Amino acid sequence: MTRRTARAALLAAGELLAWWAALALLWLVLISTVDTLERIVGASCAAAGALLARAGRRAVTWR
Amino acid sequence: MNGWILAATVELGGAGAAALWGVTTGPPARRVIAQNLTTSAVCPALLLLAQGYGRPSYVDLALLLALLGPVGTLVFARLLSDDLAGDSPSAWALTWAAAALGAAVVVALCVAGDPGRATVKLLVIGALLIGGNLIASRALAGGFRGVAGG
Repeated sequence: MTRRTARAALLAAGELLAWWAALALLWLVLISTVDTLERIVGASCAAAGALLARAGRRAVTWR
Repeated sequence: MNGWILAATVELGGAGAAALWGVTTGPPARRVIAQNLTTSAVCPALLLLAQGYGRPSYVDLALLLALLGPVGTLVFARLLSDDLAGDSPSAWALTWAAAALGAAVVVALCVAGDPGRATVKLLVIGALLIGGNLIASRALAGGFRGVAGG
């Protein structure tokens, strides 16, 4: 049982990381000048976006 | 006036005017197709104008249009699904022609500009424009009718 839980947690973390990387990359592509402030704001927004994206993905995959 | 602005003018005058004519005349099925193709006509023109005037920030307008245009069509497809159920509006030749136009403009701008983040941004806009156009066209043609109310 614990092994299954650990596996689920690992999968969730991996999915969140993948969403975060994709969204952070998109942010870096779309801004005009890349500096430290933009990197911090982009990483934060990508983290919030990753949580929302996983929630949205889980909401529609019951089909 | 340079070549980019000339191309944008020709594009707006041709495809944009044709889309406007389609939206304002004919049966609802035709109007809704023309409404969908308006995004594919105007978005490449905005990209060309941004290049022609040398203002990269104008590209954001095209990005916003490529993102919101197909979403608007999906709303129409949902709201008008009862009216459109009988005749499944589709115009695949026009849809693919519009997709080819968008791809041609994006490729031309990518070749003209220096490779870098702006190129990736252009490719993202092109993918949103073409992918959104194809998905919205399929939704209008009833391709997703099985999905929760179409």
